Amino acid sequence: MTLLLLLLIPVVAAVLLPLLSAEANQVRAAALVAALAQVGLGLWLWQHPPGELSLRWLPQLGLQLDLGLDGLSLPLVLLAALLTVMAVLSTPAAQTRPRLFYALLLATNVGLVGSFLARNALLFVLAYELILIPTTLLVAIWGGPRRSTAAIRFLMYGAVSGIALLAAVMAFGWLQGGGLDFSFAALAHHSLTPTQQRWILALVLLAFGLKLPVVPLHGWQPLTYSQAPTPVAMMLAGAVSKLGAYGLLRFGVAFLPDAWSDWSGWIAAVGAISAIYGALNAVAQLEMRRLVAYSSLGHMGFLLLALAAATPLSLQGVMAQMLAHGLIIALLFCLVGLIEIKTGSTEIPELSGLLNAQRGLPFTMGLMLLALMAAAGVPGQAGFVAELLVFEGSWVAYPWPTLVCILSSGLTAVYAVRLFNRVGFGRLDNARADWASTSWAERAPALVLTALVVLGGLWPTALTGFSDADTAPLALRSSDAVTVIATSTPQELTA
Amino acid sequence: MTPTATAPAEATKTPLIPPSTHRYADVIHRLEAGGSMLPDTPENLKQIIGIYKAYAVPMDFYWRDLLYIAEQVFLNPLPAFKYFISQEYLDLPNSYAGDQSRLRIWRGGDKAHPELLEFMATGETGSMPKLLHHLWHDRVNMEFAEACMQAMLWHQGMGGRFNDYLESDAYKANADRAIRAYFKGNPVMLGLYKLFPEMFLEQVRQLSYTANLGLFWEVMAPVFFEMSDIYDEGGFKGVPDAMNFLVNGIFAVAGRPIYHHVFIGGECFEIIPKSEGFTWLYEAALPYVEAVFYRTSPFRGTKSYNAQAGQVPSDQASFHYGILYADVYPVGSAGIPPTLLMQDMLHFLPPYLKEIYKQHRRGEEDELIQLGITFQRSMYNVTSAVIQALRCALLYPLDDTDPEHLMANRRFFEAQMDRFLRPEARLADIQTQDYR
Repeated sequence: MTLLLLLLIPVVAAVLLPLLSAEANQVRAAALVAALAQVGLGLWLWQHPPGELSLRWLPQLGLQLDLGLDGLSLPLVLLAALLTVMAVLSTPAAQTRPRLFYALLLATNVGLVGSFLARNALLFVLAYELILIPTTLLVAIWGGPRRSTAAIRFLMYGAVSGIALLAAVMAFGWLQGGGLDFSFAALAHHSLTPTQQRWILALVLLAFGLKLPVVPLHGWQPLTYSQAPTPVAMMLAGAVSKLGAYGLLRFGVAFLPDAWSDWSGWIAAVGAISAIYGALNAVAQLEMRRLVAYSSLGHMGFLLLALAAATPLSLQGVMAQMLAHGLIIALLFCLVGLIEIKTGSTEIPELSGLLNAQRGLPFTMGLMLLALMAAAGVPGQAGFVAELLVFEGSWVAYPWPTLVCILSSGLTAVYAVRLFNRVGFGRLDNARADWASTSWAERAPALVLTALVVLGGLWPTALTGFSDADTAPLALRSSDAVTVIATSTPQELTA
Repeated sequence: MTPTATAPAEATKTPLIPPSTHRYADVIHRLEAGGSMLPDTPENLKQIIGIYKAYAVPMDFYWRDLLYIAEQVFLNPLPAFKYFISQEYLDLPNSYAGDQSRLRIWRGGDKAHPELLEFMATGETGSMPKLLHHLWHDRVNMEFAEACMQAMLWHQGMGGRFNDYLESDAYKANADRAIRAYFKGNPVMLGLYKLFPEMFLEQVRQLSYTANLGLFWEVMAPVFFEMSDIYDEGGFKGVPDAMNFLVNGIFAVAGRPIYHHVFIGGECFEIIPKSEGFTWLYEAALPYVEAVFYRTSPFRGTKSYNAQAGQVPSDQASFHYGILYADVYPVGSAGIPPTLLMQDMLHFLPPYLKEIYKQHRRGEEDELIQLGITFQRSMYNVTSAVIQALRCALLYPLDDTDPEHLMANRRFFEAQMDRFLRPEARLADIQTQDYR
């Protein structure tokens, strides 16, 4: 039942928040308590692994409330819960319509955690779809000047992703015979033909490729990330996009290994294209949010490459990259949001000299430097560990796409230095620099995220230790030779 | 000394010459009416007087230590303790202030200012050995004073005959005597002097500029202290009063001798004797304003000029690091403000100035920047005094009734304002109170 509690905490909070007074601080405090409780419970479950929970819901449709927590989902549940706390903390104290805002934020959390906990594909689809509504509303109501366009585009792409996923799951149910059973256990032991697997994989790739996103399915991402309010951008880039990678790992690598192996070369190529496309676009951006958005797109390419390679090491890299990138990208959006609140702009040509100790934002820019270094994969930070695992693990399977990704990782340093140089150094315009310095309350989420990013770099086991045992059986190749072992069962691999 | 206006306080009712069409016409008309480049507002007056007070305290240390270095430390090859001023120089009576002065013009005390002595004893960190205060930079930053001296040496001929004299045979002979006396019984240093005489001479030239600046600031420190006292007594009615006090001060000591004496073994060596007739206004004040206010020098390493080879441009427009142009943000790049001086002044801000800073921008958090901008305002007022003094010395009274004379004054003021047409100049900024 503790698993159910992980879901119930944000559900109850989201339902009760609208009943509170409209005073923003009270609502914020209540949302924060709920989010913190979820983090606390998640940490407790980490130390006390729970059994699976299975409750009958709609057996006629094969819908069961099957919940479970393994090495793949635990870190992502913790990530989602933590980013919810950070999102709440990053929300300005004077947030307009606070009850609706925080309720929608918690609803997003419910969808995310529900997806990661689900052990039933149909339940997964429901939770997956649930995320779309609150996030769309959050962008549409509290977003930037182009929020309408961004929200509609996000909704359209999200709807297509949801429909594709539903179709894939339904196809699974119908094609495998023996009644409608959407449990993960049933899906893992299907008897689909290679052709059937490929058709379903096409839908899975479409669904999660849109969510991740990867080129050419990324049309919604730069605009949505740039228009979403800071806490929502943190959730979208830090946690929601990870659902795409998680989905590909669960539904693609784990449930459709033959088809995945057949197409993995193409998938790796798409990953490499995404990486280089994202990095090159980031270099060209003149607006910080869009730069971070394209940076995220590039890093999603690394994830796709590692998934395509599917070696034990690369799959560890997938988990590490999901966590590292989730923290780093949320940190970057948090810092860009702080700069925007203080200076009123995120336009790179308009800003300079923010490192100025007296009138700039030296603390924020100091953390920005760390975050950019982490994104560029500088040793000592989480990004380095994750990227090293991805590249090392993928090299044996796909050296050329890996090389392209390494090159794009180098480009990360280019746009990171360019951004920092233009925004941090140079002359601070005195007429413009009339803003208050950041308070410790404003700095808190960025500080926590930075600490975790550094911790992940200094203690890599924090990134991989959760999932070692669960990623190894999913590997389709050996880490040290291009030996396709897709036909091996998990038991054989473990042996 | 009491403030006396040297120019009419109000503009003539029927203008004898047409209005200026210069971009800074307003400022020019204000100067023609006996005003300052800095607008006459109560807050401006409060700001500049407050900062003069904060400037005067470290300046009281600067001039004493500069003279100590020039006269006592001299060519010590390892001058590690040159900022550890001797008690004799701390007790040195000011030549123009206090009861023991040779020519009392300003009030002043007999020794170093009490606030300075108190700060030297405890600093920010509290009571601890002098060496620790020094290493922790919890002290008056003499590096700023030396940077000003080096700017004067670097730019060289900024007016007067002083710089030319440093190349004269008489100077070299005097310096030679002092060098030989200083290194008497030290064959290594005397050998080096024989091998590289120009190197030693160049060091002595630098020390002569050190003495020059020390003598210049010996005058300015009591002027600023007295301005603060007069303001506290309700004596100044506006910015022009403060400027006129400075103009009067300039004329009062314009003829003070500028010299360089060195004391070696109880004997005084006159490297630049007083008899050469170098005076405070032409050999110290004007070169200082030109070199430090209008020019200063780029951050070391950002540009490379060899001063000894005469590579430093003489065109003032090649420089924008002086306080009249400087970006007060210490960003570590172009536009170097007197950061160390700002840090020094921070310790001695009068309460009314701190109160102003608390009410604007980031309050106490960015006091350093706010006081830097105040300093910029105050130095525009000092420069105004210099411009008015020059006009007074070279041209015509402001209340002259001859239109040709007034036009000559106009051309002079316009030529001065032309120096602030460059975008780096902060003259336009200080016209508004929003510039903080």
